[in-house]
Amino acid sequence: MAEMRVGETVKLLEISRAWLVDPVAGREGPGEVVVRDGILEAVTWLEGDEADAARAEGGGPGGIVVAPGLLDIHVHLREPGNEDAETVASGLAAAAHGGFTTVCAMPNTTPAADEPGVFARVRAAAAASGSPVELLLHGAVTVGRGGERLAALGELADAGAVGFSDDGSPVQSPVILRNALLYLGMLGLPLFEHVEDPALTAGAEANEGYVASVLGLKGWPAAAEVAAAQRAIAVLAAVLPDAPAARLHLTHLSTAGALDAVRRAKAAGLPVTCDVTPHHLGFTDEWVAGSRRWAWEAVDDDGIARDPWADRAFVAHPYATSCKVNPPLRAAEDAAAVLAALVDGTADAVATDHAPHAQVDKEAEFGLAANGICGLETALGVLLAAVAAGRLTLARAIEALTTGPARVLGGRPGRRGAARGLVEGEPADLVVFDAGETWAVTPAALASRGKNTPLLGRELPGRVLLTVADGRLAHRDAEA
Amino acid sequence: MRAVEGAGAAARGAGPVEGAGTATTEPATELPWHHRHLLDVDGLSAADIALVMKTTDAMKEILARPITKVPVLRGRNVTIIFYEASTRTRVSFEVAAKNLSADVVNIAASASSVTKGESLVDTIRTIEALGAHMIVMRHGTSGAPYLAAEVFSGSVLNGGDGWHAHPSQALLDLYTMRAHLGDLRGRKVVILGDVLHSRVARSNVWTLTAMGADLWICGPTPILRGFDAWAARWANGRGPGGHAGFTVTSDIDAALADADVVMALRLQRERMDAGLLPSLREYAARFGLTRERLAAAKPDALVMHPGPMNEGVEIAPDVAVLDRSVITEQVTNGVAVRMALLYLLSGVHAGGFPEGSIGG
Repeated sequence: MAEMRVGETVKLLEISRAWLVDPVAGREGPGEVVVRDGILEAVTWLEGDEADAARAEGGGPGGIVVAPGLLDIHVHLREPGNEDAETVASGLAAAAHGGFTTVCAMPNTTPAADEPGVFARVRAAAAASGSPVELLLHGAVTVGRGGERLAALGELADAGAVGFSDDGSPVQSPVILRNALLYLGMLGLPLFEHVEDPALTAGAEANEGYVASVLGLKGWPAAAEVAAAQRAIAVLAAVLPDAPAARLHLTHLSTAGALDAVRRAKAAGLPVTCDVTPHHLGFTDEWVAGSRRWAWEAVDDDGIARDPWADRAFVAHPYATSCKVNPPLRAAEDAAAVLAALVDGTADAVATDHAPHAQVDKEAEFGLAANGICGLETALGVLLAAVAAGRLTLARAIEALTTGPARVLGGRPGRRGAARGLVEGEPADLVVFDAGETWAVTPAALASRGKNTPLLGRELPGRVLLTVADGRLAHRDAEA
Repeated sequence: MRAVEGAGAAARGAGPVEGAGTATTEPATELPWHHRHLLDVDGLSAADIALVMKTTDAMKEILARPITKVPVLRGRNVTIIFYEASTRTRVSFEVAAKNLSADVVNIAASASSVTKGESLVDTIRTIEALGAHMIVMRHGTSGAPYLAAEVFSGSVLNGGDGWHAHPSQALLDLYTMRAHLGDLRGRKVVILGDVLHSRVARSNVWTLTAMGADLWICGPTPILRGFDAWAARWANGRGPGGHAGFTVTSDIDAALADADVVMALRLQRERMDAGLLPSLREYAARFGLTRERLAAAKPDALVMHPGPMNEGVEIAPDVAVLDRSVITEQVTNGVAVRMALLYLLSGVHAGGFPEGSIGG
């Protein structure tokens, strides 16, 4: 491995004393893998005494873990139009550093990806980058994401769009939402909706509640998300008789109310899926006031949010714009509901909503700063922190980053297909991380051009040692 | 906001304030003041507040002299930059700084390069390059002074930011109340009106609960939004150490009953345009501070208002001029409090934030 470069086929890789996680087989345990000439040649699960011995030698879930390459169905790569914030090349490097081998880019570039020409440009940039990370593309729902006329949905589908979204904004008009669901139902592709009622969030700065009140920030009510989620689900139900293949995916849900709406819709058999972000399950609105404790540390034994002022929980400046995001970081009770939805399967996937910004757009007054948090490189670490705290199993975390999002994509899950397991004889596509080793989140350590994360300066568990995509090296830790 | 831990408490080169008129060459006396900036009041301890009050007493003495100018801040550049229109607060800071012999630079943000799209960070760096030692800043965005404090190597004094904080106003309100009532423990103080949009209300919550006052917040429910959540969090002694809980209500009769202090807040016409309230007329009828309503308060209850007043809306004209109205006294005390704050902040070491601490 020593002389290998990113993009080259992995000649020989043998990992022993590892903990294997295969979400397709529904199996985890000690084992060994061998990759030869880019192919996953052997996956050996140890049994009985051998397994016990391997665990005794450090081959447990707290050590070296081998899992299928991760899939992020919601990222912003900013190219074309805002290359100061991110390029396709830097975004794919960030993905690989985070253990992702497939990412789906949102179409809110400049210009928006509302016709296939923009796809061609983005794909050319991906090819030029030399990265083996697979880039899948979402098309815009409406022309220029303006919310008024349908984009070239069929042409974008022909050009390979895996989903459609006006993300950054909701599809505001319920008429357009209905028509888009009908048309995409005909094409058999999902609509990724950013649920937000903009009338309730005009000028909003931080989650409405105690923290925003004390900080004097304009409240961003949970009702804006809950109401929009309920409305979108109602519109979906109304189109199903005409478009039985219509599918609605609600992205980056952050509130207990919206997740309850999805839970009920699923129970009623509606074709609804949703994802949640690492920051909405790991961080809370008290981070805006300068706290950095995990969401599960910010509630008392009864599940009620603690008071960061009373606890003197502040370790950072208040009003850090790295905490400004849409939807906003929520109260600890909502963050707990997000995590609970991930655990119980209401949330099908974890998606990062990786939203890099140039420093100039974040180095501003809180209310004027751009919304967004970078997530590709820290998602695994945040989930592993939840695992370490006993709030999430490792198997569920991996599932939510592999097979869960693949199911959301339905018929177009990329070159690997929907079955993202450790499959012998296929091109190797995997991540190797050390769950027992931390790494420091510093600007220099991040491959993304965006450094906008409130995790800067912090140690995260789960250093990614190696990412292999399509049999080729995507990322290797400098010390591995 | 919160204290800079480990920062030296020494007032560098600043003499005891009692002798400020003549004795700047006397050995420096250490003041127990640990804040480089004054960005908020939430990090001020009871001892900090007591020191501000005591220092303000000394400044009041100076203001009572035939010549009110002392050379405490001679050679210090105080730059006052206001991104929002204000006459009262800006002039008060300017008079305070000039009384202390500081060199004062006034920047009206609309007349500066701000209108050419210069960022706040660039503006602060420029002000520093032009020699400012202290910045007094008024800004329409909550938290903006924290951004200024991150890049400025001197001291930042928050002259009001968005809906968030107005530290000097809360401290002058407190000074005025204490001048009449002494210890505020158990004293019923009512803040009446548009608290949602009010930095004055938010800062007064911190200072008055720190002093143990029985604080009531009253107004129509749409403009109390968020304060219920706040009061609920602090109920039953669960709030930050040393802070009493407070009561939020839209029942004005319950709020005013036996009150020791009633502070009315300005209600802006824009609130009707935004559909928050039906009309000024209806507001005045239900929540205006009239003689009749005030009769429910204690006979000598103080009437306060941070200004500018909408007479006939949140406060009746005949209430504003009652003997127990201390509205003009608030203005006078404002100069003394701001002199005290400029003096206290000027004595703290410049330089970067100490390792592992945050700017307070």
